[in-house]
Amino acid sequence: MAKRVVIADDADFHRTVLKDILTKGGFEVVAEAVNGEEALSSARALRPDIVILDIVMPLMNGIEAAREIRLIEPPVKIIMCTSLGYEPIVEEALKSGACAYIVKPLSEKKVLAVLAALKD
Amino acid sequence: MDTSKYKALYLQETNSHLSGIEAGLLDLEKGSVSEVDNLFRHYHSIKGMSASMGYEPLMVLAHEEEGLLEKIRSKSLETTPEIIGTLFECLDALKRLAAKVEADEPLDIDISAFLTRLKALSEGKPSPAPKPVFEPTVAVQPAAGGGGAELKISNVMKVEGRVFDELLTTVGDLFMALSSFKELSQRSRSIELKDGVHLLGKSVNTLHQNILSARMLPIRDLTETLPRIVRDIANRAGKVVDLKIEGAEISLDRSILEDLGSPLVHIIRNAVDHGIETPNERESAGKPRSGTITFRAHARKDRAVIEVSDDGRGIDSEKIRMKAVEKGADPRRVAAMTRKEALLLVCLPGLTSAETVTETSGRGVGMDIVKAVVEGLGGALEIETEPGKGTTIRMELPRTTSIVKTLLVTAGSEQFLFPITKIEKVIERGGEAPSSIEYAGHEVPVVDLASIIGLPGSEAGPSSTIVIVEKEQEGEERGFIGLKVDDFGVELDAYIKPLLPPMSRLWGVAGITIMGDGRPVFLLDIPQILSRVSSRPSL
Repeated sequence: MAKRVVIADDADFHRTVLKDILTKGGFEVVAEAVNGEEALSSARALRPDIVILDIVMPLMNGIEAAREIRLIEPPVKIIMCTSLGYEPIVEEALKSGACAYIVKPLSEKKVLAVLAALKD
Repeated sequence: MDTSKYKALYLQETNSHLSGIEAGLLDLEKGSVSEVDNLFRHYHSIKGMSASMGYEPLMVLAHEEEGLLEKIRSKSLETTPEIIGTLFECLDALKRLAAKVEADEPLDIDISAFLTRLKALSEGKPSPAPKPVFEPTVAVQPAAGGGGAELKISNVMKVEGRVFDELLTTVGDLFMALSSFKELSQRSRSIELKDGVHLLGKSVNTLHQNILSARMLPIRDLTETLPRIVRDIANRAGKVVDLKIEGAEISLDRSILEDLGSPLVHIIRNAVDHGIETPNERESAGKPRSGTITFRAHARKDRAVIEVSDDGRGIDSEKIRMKAVEKGADPRRVAAMTRKEALLLVCLPGLTSAETVTETSGRGVGMDIVKAVVEGLGGALEIETEPGKGTTIRMELPRTTSIVKTLLVTAGSEQFLFPITKIEKVIERGGEAPSSIEYAGHEVPVVDLASIIGLPGSEAGPSSTIVIVEKEQEGEERGFIGLKVDDFGVELDAYIKPLLPPMSRLWGVAGITIMGDGRPVFLLDIPQILSRVSSRPSL
């Protein structure tokens, strides 16, 4: 069965690119969120396998959302998505519960490689 | 990854972030820090999207700006006018780059000077190169290309808009074909034909209404960039100006909005440059140091009224008169003008050169162009002013273009289209036309349309036809005027084409249509005709 993914990014552009990559790679995107709060409620309601969180988002940022999402049982795998210049924050992200990260620009190769490396 | 399919989405989001940045910077400049977080996010998003699309200059520039904003956000850097000024210039560069993306042009704008300045500023050093890489064009050509100087509507609509222009032309042709069928069916006894023409007419009308409403855009699309333009002009002129915008939700046909961009910039520029006084002058005149420009739009039936008011020094109409006479206008004509008419003299091309008018009256750059555009759109321009208190430029415009319900009338052996919305009643009566007639409890003066337009009057027939129209009144009291015509014909849904210069200078007509048989017929400009009637004291 295809892995179920929630993606959270305030940019429609990035959600669209990411969704296309994931769908092509055999994943099922079950929800799209535009901020951390939406990502959290989608993760709670839909119990996806994976949540991909952009770091800079309005209302609740990706790090704050990750801290909440990691409390969900059974555990949801969290991947942080970040831009150039945010590498130092990745450290913090990993501490708050993320298990991997993707540095933008998004590319099919990069995204699918990170997802393939996730341990079940 | 094939990025081309994401380009439209990229541009749409980037442009919305660019608008957000503009609004945010304007707020920041006024001392509000609440927008810093949002500003930061706008730059961040542009950076991320540009990286994914491979638009390097956009990404690098946005990245550097994001860094600067981060320092402001974390309070390790204070905003200075220099920082804001640089961010505005960088915003213009981002806009130009985005425009190049849209046009599929190489992103060959050199941003290195911007990057150096941003780096220096974010290290708290003064910016090394105070001169921008390119001159913002706002100082020279307010209406043409570039930076914050442009008033334009969303480019996505532009593509669609052209399609709608063609659709509208086609509907115009349909209306013309329909009127031929209507004539045929009136002469025919075939019920099927009559029914068919009726149904066809309904469908064409629905199609027309749908196209018209799809073409409507809120004035907001035009005014969104006004704050920035006012800021740039005011900064350059050393003035402090507060801009208020009211009624931006009123919608107009996109082609009308588009044409309004350039006149609006002219009007705003005049208001800032010549209307609003310097802060010191204002203070000594007992006014607040900051001047106010108010943009106000409201709908009046099928027309929109757009006003730009300033609380500046106003225009001296006597000086305008003197100037017009100096420039060779007939002194007697100028002396006979009402104050309102005299003010419109600022729209004479000869009178509007900056150096003469700025010194004498303080107004006038490009007003001839403003008047030509407004009248070309079938609108009317009015100026109100009170010396020392301020000036209001009022534009009354149609909200939609093109198809107008009209009545075909004959005056002085010529045919004209009379807009039906202006007609109160058509009265036919035996004998020669009286000099006045009673209507709705009013004594209504009757004037000969042909003689007002300057056509030879026709010989009196056995009966006369009088079209009653309502005068535009400021007060509550209604007033009417009867226009005597020789005859009236059918009602027509006419596809009106605007008159282009030099035809747009023709007096008393607002547009032209081509009849089914190929004859051109003018649409009467009733407000203009009535203004001449009212200014004749003998009537």
